Order: sequence, then C-alpha cells, then structure tokens
Amino acid sequence: MKKHKISAILNLKEDDLRLLPLTEKRSVSSLPFGCRYRLIDFPFTSLHSASIDSAAFFIAGNGRSLHDHIRSGASWGLDSSIGGGLFPHTETAIREAVEMEKVDQINSFYHDQIHYVMRSKSEYVVMMGSKMLCNIDIQAVLRYHQEKEADVTVVYKNMTQPDYVGSEDETYLLFDDQKTDRITSLVSFDKLDTKTKKAPVNMNIVIMTAEKFIELATQAGKSKLKSETMLLFKDHLDKINVVGYEYTGYLKNINSIKNYFEANMDMLNETNYNALLNRGDSIITKVKNGAPTFYSKDAKVKNSQFASDCLVEGEVENSLIFRKVTIAKDAKINHSIIMQGSQIGEGSSLEYVILDKGVRIGENVHLKGTPDDIKVIKKNTVVEPKRGVKA
Amino acid sequence: MRKIETLAMILAGGQGSRLGKLTKEIAKPAVPFGGKYRIIDFALSNCVNSGIKNVGVVTQYQPRELNSHVGNGAAWGLNVHNGGATILQPYASVDGEKWFKGTANAIYQNSSFIDQHNPDYVLVLSGDHIYKMDYQKMLDFHKLKKAALTVGVIPVPIDEAPRFGIMNTDQTGRIIEFEEKPKEPKSNLASMGVYIFDWALLKKYLDEDQAKRRELEDFGKDVIPSYLSNGENIFAYAFTDYWKDVGTIESLWEANMEFLDPTHALNIRNSDWRIYSQNPSAPPQFLTETSKVNDSMVVDGCYIAGEVTHSILSHNVKVGKGSVVENSIIMAGVTIGENVTIKYAIIGDNAKIHDGAQVIGQEKEIMVAGYNEEIGGQTDEEA
Repeated sequence: MKKHKISAILNLKEDDLRLLPLTEKRSVSSLPFGCRYRLIDFPFTSLHSASIDSAAFFIAGNGRSLHDHIRSGASWGLDSSIGGGLFPHTETAIREAVEMEKVDQINSFYHDQIHYVMRSKSEYVVMMGSKMLCNIDIQAVLRYHQEKEADVTVVYKNMTQPDYVGSEDETYLLFDDQKTDRITSLVSFDKLDTKTKKAPVNMNIVIMTAEKFIELATQAGKSKLKSETMLLFKDHLDKINVVGYEYTGYLKNINSIKNYFEANMDMLNETNYNALLNRGDSIITKVKNGAPTFYSKDAKVKNSQFASDCLVEGEVENSLIFRKVTIAKDAKINHSIIMQGSQIGEGSSLEYVILDKGVRIGENVHLKGTPDDIKVIKKNTVVEPKRGVKA
Repeated sequence: MRKIETLAMILAGGQGSRLGKLTKEIAKPAVPFGGKYRIIDFALSNCVNSGIKNVGVVTQYQPRELNSHVGNGAAWGLNVHNGGATILQPYASVDGEKWFKGTANAIYQNSSFIDQHNPDYVLVLSGDHIYKMDYQKMLDFHKLKKAALTVGVIPVPIDEAPRFGIMNTDQTGRIIEFEEKPKEPKSNLASMGVYIFDWALLKKYLDEDQAKRRELEDFGKDVIPSYLSNGENIFAYAFTDYWKDVGTIESLWEANMEFLDPTHALNIRNSDWRIYSQNPSAPPQFLTETSKVNDSMVVDGCYIAGEVTHSILSHNVKVGKGSVVENSIIMAGVTIGENVTIKYAIIGDNAKIHDGAQVIGQEKEIMVAGYNEEIGGQTDEEA
C-alpha cells in the first residue's frame, strides 16, 4: 500500500522579544539547545521520523543563522530530488502587512502555502512551529486523525495546575461537555476552569487533509486573517470537527530566557533527557567534525552534559557545555549554559550564566546570576577582570 | 578528454591479522581509533586537505563495514561534481576471478578506473597508517626532481630498521637501492607505503609485464627493483612528523594511549588540518552526579555514572555506577553494567560487559573483548 504522503508547513515567525539578547541575530528556531542542537532540529527530526521528505517554512527576516544550519536539508532527508525538498519563504513584511491590513500581501502569504501544498501532491498537511520544544510522532497523530475521522487534529499536552503558570502567547483547549476530544474553543490561561487542575496547552501542531487545508486557507486569505496557524479554523469550531491529540512527552514553551534556561537544565534530569533526546530515532542535527572532548587530570565534573571538541580542565557542575568550549584550570562553572566556541580562563567562576557563542572570559572573572535572573553574555563578548564586560 | 592532475588510490584491502579479534570481521583500515575515527580516516582526510578530490579505495578483505564507512565520500567532502570516492573491489570477468595479488597488481587491475580519470600522477596510499601529511608538498618535490617515482620515507630508529622496507639513497635523495627487511640496514629510511607515480610510465610497466613474466605484483618487492634496474629516477621524500603503523593489539592500544596526551604530535584539535569521519547523530555526553572522569576522551552519546581514568570512550558507551575503567579503549555502543572493572583492555563495538564482571589486562598483555562479545552475566543455572 502506498503511504499517505504528508507535506509540512513550518511557521517560524515566532515571537522572540523575551529571548533577547539571544535572538538579536537569530530566530527562535535557530536557538542553540542541549549542547549540540538548534530548536529547528526537533520539528525536522519529527518530519524525518514520519518519512516526510518535503517542507515549506516561513520566516521573518533574512534567516542567515537558520539557513546556515539547515543548508539543503540533507541532514534530515529533506533534499530528495524526487517529490521532496525544502521550500523557504521569507515574509519580511508579514507583521506589518497584517497591521496595515495590506490584503494583497496577506493573500500572497496564504497563496504561497496553498501553492506549496498543491504542488507537493500530498494527501495531508502538518503545520508546526519550533518554540514548543517537543519530540512528537507525527505518524501517530495522523493515525489518530484518521481513526477519529476528524477535519482537523490539534496536538496538546495536559499541564497540571496550579504548578503550571501559563503565558500570554499560549492558548488552551476547551473540549465539549460530552467529555469527548472535540475542541469547542481556544482560550487564554485565565479562562480555564481551575477545578479540573488541567491546563491543556495547545502545542501549535495541527494536521488535516490537503483538501481541508486549501479550503480553510482560501477563506483565511479572503477574510484578511493574520498568519497564525490556529486562526485557520478558530472561527469554524462549531461547523467542523476539530479534535485534540494528547501528547504525553516532554514539552517546554521556549518563549523567555527563563524558560530557555530551564529547558536546558531539564535535560540534566534523566527522565527528560530520555524523553526528548533519546526516544526512538536520535535527534538529527547538522553534523560537525570535531575531536573527542578531553577531560584533564584536574577536571572535576558532576551532573553535566557536553558536546564534542571541548577541553575541560576546571570544575563543571549542573551545566551544559556546547562544542569547542575550553574551560581552564581552577575555573568553576555551575548552573550555566556555555555555547559553542566560548573560552573560560583560569580561576574564573560562572553561576546561573548563559554565555552565547564565542564569548571569552579572562582569568579570575566572576559572573553570577540567579535562578530568576539569568545573566546572559552576548555573542563574541570579551570579559576581562576589572574592566568588566566589553562587547 | 577530461584530465586531472592527481588521482589517489588508497589500498585498503589489508587484513591486519596480528590485530586478532579486532580484524576478524573487518579490514584493518576500518579499525576504530581515537574515539571517533577509523584508521582510514587519516589517509582520506589527508587527500582532501591536500586538495585531492578523486580517490579510489581498493578493498578486498572483509570489506562490508569499510565500504559502508567510506560510502560516496560525503563525510570527507568528496561528493562533489569534479571529484568523488569510489570503492574498488576485485571482480570476476571472462578471464576468471581476479583477486588482487599484491599492491601493484591491485593498481594494474584497476587501470581502467585510473584511465577514466586520465591523471598525470597516481598517488598510492595505504589505508593502514595514522598520520597527517600534505601530499601536495610531496607532489611539488616529485615535479621538482622530475622523478618517475617518489617514495615517502620516514626515518626510524636504526635498530628497528630490520622490520621495514629500507630505501638507500645517494646524497641528492635519489634511491639507489631497496632492501626489504634488511638484517644489516644501511640506512634508516623506511617506506611509508606512500608513492607518487607518473601514471603513463607505471602503466607501461604494468601493461608490458602482462606479456612477459607477470612478476610485477608488489611495489616494494617487484616494481621498485624493476625501475631501479632500468635506471628510472626514484626519489625518497622524507616525512618527519608523527606516523604510526598499528600492526598489533599492543601497538593499537599504545597509539590510542599516546593520543590522550593533549600535546600529542597529531594535534587533533587543529582545525587547519581536520580529520574527518562519519559522525553518527547521538545526544550530548552525560556525566552524572556519581561520575568521575579524568585524563580521558569521550564523545557524543556516552552516559557515564562510573569512574573513567586515562581511557578513550567512543560513541554511545554506557558506564554504570560503581564501575571503573582505566587505561582502556572502549569502542562504540558498548554497555558496561554496574561494578565492572576494566583495566588495560580494548572493548570492541557493541560488546556488553555485565554487572560485576572484570576485564583486566596488563600493559604488555592487553585484554580484548571482540565486537558484540558478552562478558559476565552468567545465569543461575551456569553458576
């Protein structure tokens, strides 16, 4: 039997204000994560695992950092010359177009998506983003969608109240009174019933038939809707059958420095590490050639993760260290994230700090943040003692 | 007709029988080294770094793993429109089956592949050695000397010279005599198995030999003496950096242990002359609360809850709580249970060392667990 062909639309125009300065020169989708990944690796790996070999992605800005990472898409099997491929769309002015109600431009956004779906000759369309960090089995969602004979299937995760604190950029699902999985509305956190203790957070992953997608996107284009995925069907919930698929794996909304930091630290917990990084197929990323990481005679390392090509002579605890990082003797690193190519000099100490790529910390420099106020050092900064932080 | 300057031919058919279990099912060039490499990566990377983009890899003995490792050469950047890596294996024809009888014979049997590239020079390499070498410099030397053949040589301690093929040269570096494993060596210049031939001339020798006694089977034993007796210009090109032939279990272990030294001559972290390899996707290395890792190299996918000292851990190695790994090489995918002791050992790919097991060798007697071998973990019935 021929497999159902699925095409993918990745909406990567994600809000990054609360992730500054990490997102100054990169999109949320190209944020480094977990020692050796970028956030885009997670949706791309899910596509690969579901044998999806074609994807269109929509970005704002020039996407240099993202393009540099994904190149031809070959790492994720997205470069097939037969019926596959990666189709980038740059929508520099889409936000402005929506605000200014520039109909032509909004129309063209939906037109591009419809065009892609028609050309891909796929039977189904999956739509997702990159900031809802997860490891989703798309084929399982499709099987559910087919079995339920739904028009649209939306993926969600039940978070537990009151531990879970919602955020403005999230929506939650309300189901119909019959306690089925049929979704009746999308609401904000404060509209949730606190008695149920459940917060079914919408993961912005949606699957539907190509036919349904073309129908909904055509309507959205006509009615000048913003470019968000959910808006495609939000106003039609009473007319069409939209159901929820419950995801039970690891999920984090990477929408702030705090959440970004916590998600990385979550990987030091074996349950989370296994759920996100070690489930089924490994997460695929662009491979790099580096030497093995070397831990010297003096190195003291506990509860930490490392990529390859590092040189570790100091103390590292509860931290994540990316590729090509050097940590000199008597340096102490705790509760920190050190990105690619950073160097930490002798006798320096870091606590609750994120070093972006290529930061150089001199000798005897002491930087300290707190769990609620993570200190972020910008890319390529040189930090010397006394003279302080210099960009 | 399209023409290229240099075609590299890597001879990777060697068995390496003295590596015992480690080469029972794979050829020596495919033996893992340094945590994330295989021995052939050095020759392949040297080619790419020297600007040579056309490479034939001649395989014969247990070639499956080696062939899949080399693939289309993409890992070394060889999958480009004017280059490529090609696996060359013995084949059957109307003349019968044609196993490669020696180094020169392997080149002769692949003449049509070489002619298809139409090179001026053929660089013949061995896939067995660990070194970083700029072949372009050797080629410049070859052209400068207007040589018919240039042989890469490495000075070895004179008391070790009887183990090698020794080149005796005149004062200009011209080779005047070749002695295979001489009892009383006249020089200490050992052949590295690196040759640059003028292809047209070599082809003439190999072709004509087919009508004669068919004796040109091996470069050292047959071709060089034949060139010498005809007065062809053969020069020795001296290479003085790190070069290692890991022929035995002990020398493989020793080379790996030397490699741990951060000041090692191979300077593996130098990004100007990178050694490339296949890089599997694996999660970051995880050193847990109970781990203690010192003086060791570790790569992606490792999970360490025990103690690791002066050892090399390859991809996806798991070391359970209470286990001790010392002075050892642990190859990819090995699972080490809890309270295991491993000292002076080489553990092959995907081996399983069960709880409480001991694998303890000595410096001069390295213990080896073969690929997929299981140690310990006996059931109650057996005990």
